[in-house]
Amino acid sequence: MQRQMQTGGSAKVDVDATHRYGDLVVHDQLRFSVAENEFLCICGPSGCGKTTLLDMLAGILEPSEGRVLIDGAPADPKRQSISFVFQEPSTFPWLNVWDNVATGLRIRGTPREAIAAKVEEIVRIVGLTGFEKFYPHQISGGMKQRVAIARAFVTDADLILMDEPFVSLDQPTRERMQAEVLDIWRHRRRTVVFVTHNLEEAVYLGDRILILSAKPARIVAELDVSLARPRDPLSKEFMELRASCVRWLHAPGTV
Amino acid sequence: MLTMVWNLASLALALALWQLASVLAASPFFPGPMKIVEAFVQLASRGDTFGHSLWTHSWASIERVLVGFGLGVLLGVPLGLLMGLYPKVYAGTRSVLEPFRFIPPIAWIPLAIIFFSGLTRFAFLIFLGAFFPVFTSTLVGVARVEPIHRKVGVVHGAGKLWTLVHVVVPTVMPDIMAGMRVGLGTAWLTIVAAELAGGISTGLGRMMTNYAELLQVPHVIVGMLLIGFIGFVMNEMLLIVEKRLFRWRWQVSL
Repeated sequence: MQRQMQTGGSAKVDVDATHRYGDLVVHDQLRFSVAENEFLCICGPSGCGKTTLLDMLAGILEPSEGRVLIDGAPADPKRQSISFVFQEPSTFPWLNVWDNVATGLRIRGTPREAIAAKVEEIVRIVGLTGFEKFYPHQISGGMKQRVAIARAFVTDADLILMDEPFVSLDQPTRERMQAEVLDIWRHRRRTVVFVTHNLEEAVYLGDRILILSAKPARIVAELDVSLARPRDPLSKEFMELRASCVRWLHAPGTV
Repeated sequence: MLTMVWNLASLALALALWQLASVLAASPFFPGPMKIVEAFVQLASRGDTFGHSLWTHSWASIERVLVGFGLGVLLGVPLGLLMGLYPKVYAGTRSVLEPFRFIPPIAWIPLAIIFFSGLTRFAFLIFLGAFFPVFTSTLVGVARVEPIHRKVGVVHGAGKLWTLVHVVVPTVMPDIMAGMRVGLGTAWLTIVAAELAGGISTGLGRMMTNYAELLQVPHVIVGMLLIGFIGFVMNEMLLIVEKRLFRWRWQVSL
């Protein structure tokens, strides 16, 4: 299945969905949109169904009711260009760094020369040049996650979904990766939905933050982050925003 | 390097003790290594009492093993993958399939003698011996496929075939290779037993029975050592393939 990849594309997402597992309501009429090129962060208490929500956005899980639309069409990874960075290690241990990064491009039938150029560029951006021939077991956890991030960004997907991608990293690596993701995102404007339970991370990265409640998940707050980048986590405005996120997260209706 | 020195030393010591014991025993039924070498040279240069050379016997056995073993892999791997990917198929057919696993291939020899002849007979028996180790380890290996690896493919728009080729097969490959090495062992076990049962004039097992009837112990031992040697070489060859295939792994299982 050869498909023309529109480069520089960016998706608009509309969600209006309720999801249940049997009697358990995971999402109760979740309704929100993500604008083109927007960096949206979603926060919530653990177990609020963030991963389920991302699966619905990726089109690999259908909501019980309602729908998830990407550029007006139901989410479907075979039709739309979507990328996903997972929380857990997801590199293929049998492929070296280069082949891992190229995976998404190969699935989408990108021509060989184009793959070489794209992979080379993204590997440079995430700082893995020189490690192309290394297998995942030969590199650190932080580097493996960078491979996964490179794999997600290299496809020039219109929509990039990230599920707590830095949760397993130590603080310095995490900070560097956050800066790197913003850098990549600045280079190639894309719509990003970033799930995290780390509020500081959300305020640091997002254009906008949605706070979800515990199950059944609803949107309890929507905060615009209008701070200029790069943001200073120690500035007064940053701290205030973070504090209001904390208040929402601990509000009686949230937990 | 040092391991090699130790191995050569222990081998030399074992041979020396054997030679010594045979000299002390001074019996035609307890030949020493020198007698074995003599028998080997005789079999290799002049052939056996029927004029079949050692090469003819060895190749006859190897050919049977390769055909039967190949069939076992050719059927065991796809069936293992199929039943691993669709556990319901396995659950629904277990009662038909599993009892066969407990019928040793040698228990099939009487029927094989009635129904088949020549290469087909041996290929059938060896197939029975090689199939289950390969099938079972493939089946078990499929359960090792990480859901996250499937998901990586799916979110990038991959279909079932891509997942099979690029996720399932690489994950299961180490198990398939391990099953193949176990299956190869069973195949050798079976070929000798099957050839001992008779009905043909070639094969290392056949050669051994011939000489056992003539009470020629050295020639029987030549057959035994050759079986061990060929099996060892085949296993080493599989290990080399494994090492090339699994450069991504921490280590290769032994």
